[in-house]
Amino acid sequence: MATVISAAAPPQQEPQPGPERTPSRDRVMGVFRATPFTYATLIIVSAVLCVPLVFVVSIALSSDQTVNANTFTILPREFHWDNFTRVFSTDLPMQRFLLNSVIISTGAVIGQMLSSGLVGYAFARLRAPGKNALFIIVLATMMIPAQITMIPQFILFKELGWVNTFLPLIVPNFFSNAFNVFLVRQFVSRLPSEIDEAAMVDGLGFFGIYRRIMLPMLSPVLIAIGIFTLTATWGDFMGPLIYLNDETKMPLALGVQYITSTSQALQAPPWNLVMVGSILLTLPMILVYYLGQRYLYEMDISGGSAGVK
Amino acid sequence: MSKLRRREALWFYLFASPWIIGFVVFLLGPMIASVYISLTDWDSFTPPKFVGLENYTRLLTEDPVFWKALWNTFFYAAISVPLGLGIGLWLANLLNKQVRLRKVFRTLIYLPTLVPLVATAMIFKMVLAPSGPLNDVLGVFSIPGPSWLLESIWVKPALILLSVWGAGGATVLLLAAMKGIPRELYEAAEVDGAGPFRQFWSITFPQLTPIIFFNLIMGLIGAFQVFSQVYILTKGGPDNASQMMVPLLFNEAFSFYHMGYASALSWLLFAVILVFTLLAFRTARRWVFYETEVK
Repeated sequence: MATVISAAAPPQQEPQPGPERTPSRDRVMGVFRATPFTYATLIIVSAVLCVPLVFVVSIALSSDQTVNANTFTILPREFHWDNFTRVFSTDLPMQRFLLNSVIISTGAVIGQMLSSGLVGYAFARLRAPGKNALFIIVLATMMIPAQITMIPQFILFKELGWVNTFLPLIVPNFFSNAFNVFLVRQFVSRLPSEIDEAAMVDGLGFFGIYRRIMLPMLSPVLIAIGIFTLTATWGDFMGPLIYLNDETKMPLALGVQYITSTSQALQAPPWNLVMVGSILLTLPMILVYYLGQRYLYEMDISGGSAGVK
Repeated sequence: MSKLRRREALWFYLFASPWIIGFVVFLLGPMIASVYISLTDWDSFTPPKFVGLENYTRLLTEDPVFWKALWNTFFYAAISVPLGLGIGLWLANLLNKQVRLRKVFRTLIYLPTLVPLVATAMIFKMVLAPSGPLNDVLGVFSIPGPSWLLESIWVKPALILLSVWGAGGATVLLLAAMKGIPRELYEAAEVDGAGPFRQFWSITFPQLTPIIFFNLIMGLIGAFQVFSQVYILTKGGPDNASQMMVPLLFNEAFSFYHMGYASALSWLLFAVILVFTLLAFRTARRWVFYETEVK
């Protein structure tokens, strides 16, 4: 794990060929030379990868007639922008879905940010008997697939009467998770310990050091954790599927699927509105990535889940 | 222990208490419960009936769907993960050249990975429809496209296609790592007369193996737990041709309330993941290059 964190992304610099430098550097080296073939491949691949996205927009903008006739085209031919407002006024509780997603994700993000910082700091800085053994357990728990605990957790939450509430999806986040604890611990370990030693000499207690000295410095890692948690919770499908079966409680990720699965056999799902829902589900993720990418690069861990889809 | 030291230890346990409590309540407790539940026949409403190892023996000897799901999951993981990484590496290598508009290409290639899985599934439901755009494109080359999600031979390739759409995640990561490879290595190779192909396999690839290895492990673990796309797109059909471990487990637990059977299934899943991770680590010594090993 540690090797990966350190082996990952260096800061983003585009190595420029220096034509102004020595003659030998004048030309781009063979491996780095882009041929027409390179461009052709990149253009084709980018286009192929973007076709599904363009297709979604095309469906989202099509009329109900096109949906019923199932005559979609890859490039949009109709532009029913009102689908984006209509989606909130049909009998589909899309507004409710969106609000539920916001509530659940906010709760989860707050929970992880509050708890992971505290626990990670403790593991990095405070000395206590049994700490190292405990940290090995932290690392070991990362290996255990969620499916093992899925059923007993369901029973537990059912006994607590939490089924059909947001609580099973929010509350566990207030107890941090191993990966985030590990991230914070690594981050704090890299900060010079003179800082908290000086604070202690100045008479600050451990909580004071954490609250006043550490917390401000932890913001990059906590923001990264917030982004991970937000992405995971916003797109989570299985959790809501297990715990929420009341239509008004569903988050968007489940709601979008729910619409398609409950349509009558004879009547096709309102695909244009479903795709509007899918776009609403996707846009915040693009926004979050755009705003947060510098934190992710800073943390060098954006790839932890890359390719796991 | 001095008073100060004791106070520090106290604060440690206080600060770490969220994780400790969470570990006991949401992980350790449930794990122990899961072992017990897996040894019972239980529908979660009536009292559980202890049946010993029957759930395990039934899974391993009498349940053809379990073996089918296991095989399908293997198939899916064994193809989608290396394929996704391979494509990711190939694209990263292209982007690592002196291309204009690199950022634009990188963004376009990365974009699909930002789409949440549910939305991806919805998109592919339409893309893979018998008269959808994929078959339209195939039609241009006069290839008759199959009904992807409805045919038992094509449903797994269809799910693999969906996963490979997200290969851009690996691309961005590998590209960042490629930028960290010292240019002197390439300059030296150039002087020695190595061509671009040779340079890729003798410099770029070995330098990237640690990060490729990490992604391989994480990818395999994730692929073994594939759920949403199967649940949304195929429900394991047709004829269990796309049934996988976790959707099967989910059905047993939450559709049929076979809590004992599903718990046993979850432990077998864990065992499979563990074996594969260990195997991957065993092979790692042969192909993963760590700088520190070289003196």
